[in-house]
Amino acid sequence: MTHLELTHIHKSFGASVAVEDFNLTVKQGEFVSFLGPSGCGKTTTLRMVAGFELPTSGNVTLNGKDLTYVPPNKRNVGMVFQSYALFPNMTVAQNVGYGLKIAGKSKNEIEERVREMLSLIQMDKFYSRYPYQLSGGQQQRVALARALAIQPELLLLDEPLSALDAKIRFELRQEIRRIQQKLGITTIYVTHDQEEALSLSDRIVVMSQGKIEQVGNPFEIYNFPQTRFVAKFVGSLNTVTATVVDPAKGIASFDGINLEIAQGLNGKNKGEEVTIAIRPERFNFLAEQRKENVFDCTIENITFLGSVVRVQMKIGNSIFNMDTFNRPSLKLPNIGGKEQVTCSNKAVLVLAG
Amino acid sequence: MDEIMSRKRTSFFTIFWGILALLYFFLPIYGTLDFSLRMERGILGFKAYKIIFADPRFWEGFRYSVTMAVITIIVSAAIFVPTIYWMYLKVPQARPIMEIITILPFVIPGIILVFGLIRTFSRPPLQLTTSTFKTDILMIAGYVIISMPYMFRAVDVGMRSIDVRTLTEAAQSLGSNWFHVLADVIIPNLRLAILGGSLICFATVMGELILADFLVRPALGPYMVRLGLTKAYEPAALAIISYSLTWFSLGLLQFFSSRSERQKQQVITT
Repeated sequence: MTHLELTHIHKSFGASVAVEDFNLTVKQGEFVSFLGPSGCGKTTTLRMVAGFELPTSGNVTLNGKDLTYVPPNKRNVGMVFQSYALFPNMTVAQNVGYGLKIAGKSKNEIEERVREMLSLIQMDKFYSRYPYQLSGGQQQRVALARALAIQPELLLLDEPLSALDAKIRFELRQEIRRIQQKLGITTIYVTHDQEEALSLSDRIVVMSQGKIEQVGNPFEIYNFPQTRFVAKFVGSLNTVTATVVDPAKGIASFDGINLEIAQGLNGKNKGEEVTIAIRPERFNFLAEQRKENVFDCTIENITFLGSVVRVQMKIGNSIFNMDTFNRPSLKLPNIGGKEQVTCSNKAVLVLAG
Repeated sequence: MDEIMSRKRTSFFTIFWGILALLYFFLPIYGTLDFSLRMERGILGFKAYKIIFADPRFWEGFRYSVTMAVITIIVSAAIFVPTIYWMYLKVPQARPIMEIITILPFVIPGIILVFGLIRTFSRPPLQLTTSTFKTDILMIAGYVIISMPYMFRAVDVGMRSIDVRTLTEAAQSLGSNWFHVLADVIIPNLRLAILGGSLICFATVMGELILADFLVRPALGPYMVRLGLTKAYEPAALAIISYSLTWFSLGLLQFFSSRSERQKQQVITT
């Protein structure tokens, strides 16, 4: 069932267009991430859903109600900010109970709900603390509890983990997903961190320059990027310009080397130029008899990235990266050495845009 | 070795200039205090102070000035807090203009302000010098203008120390209307800033002379001047009382700000 609907949303600040023809439907209980670089319009879109910005045109509908011109304090939408935005003059309990106090709930009701929320975020002991007595991660958990205490119809999170260090970020990420799934609350999450979006979301909306580039689940976004931007922004990617050799058999060539493409080249003409993309982890050193996509290469560089080893190699005149798991038995080639690598024809993507 | 010598030299000059500055500031005050205590020949005593405290005109002036100061503080805070809040939220680019406007009372001499007020408000359409009540309104308006640079800066610094926009949005997302945002979130977090502005406002109004003198109101400033025309020791005692009031205000300000700092230093990071 459609819970949130954004229809033809457009937002301009003077001559500059921040969001252009944004259309999205979000189902009840779904976790959707807006992913994109700074200035792509993701936060502006979120702020329009929250009511802090008015769309230049288009509509925001929640549960069938048009919220486009409803002020933010009348929307029943909870929001968590990057900078926590806890009220410094209030204790943890007062912060969490503030929305309920504004809603005119009784003291007992507020007390009960505050305790329930603090238990949900496992911060019962911090009831009387002030925000300045908490670490960043704890403050953000309180901010989450505060947003959830009012039982909002929709939860909005605006880069909530950006100000935290890597370890806390990872822990809190799990926590956010656990709570969201437990409460079944529809959630919009804004981030520029692909790992966060991939690990948390039911669906990801990849944005660039105010427009939606692709909407899909994390698996689709990572494995089947539809545009060059998505392919480049999500994960690392090798791209090369190739010339179509045989559209029917799905063969293209770069630097005089033929490449088989499982998805085919239908709709392309012989001699036409296409952008080919291969994820670094889809390459392997040749260890089996394969007929398609076997390339001679020269090893240019080797970099250890912890659990992964990145091998930079030259195929023809083009530079490619290959990622391989770092295990003790791994035999690495010598820099400058000649090797053969391969990739499945299913690993070769043809990018549009 | 050179570094140690240089550090010693720096610390010697720091102490030297520090002592010189203290003497420069405190010697005249000490002189005034000493003089105020020598009303009776050959002994140090509080006779001048007793005379002042026994004078009903002093208490009349004191009560009047305190009342004016309190009303000025309330009016200033009521004008400046919402205005500066609105400026931060909606037109942050207007801040330099506001700064110039609020610095005008420093640039325009008090006498010009008073003549301007008297000339403008002594004739229709808005005649405010026909009764003491109306004149008091005019006085408060003048005091608000005179204390504007202090109140503006104090509140401005307070606003800069909090994330006004995000706190407002957080409160709104929890259902708060504008009144609640201001009353529950913004003003409590500006408490110290407003207190600072208020105490400086208080000290300014308590010592103000020109406005009260020209509008012929029984404030403490004109009383001080009139006393100085006919007496010797009592004005010195009054000056010390006036200083004490100002320092008491500043002491309160210091006490509250250091208490707030102490609270913040109890940060527990777990």
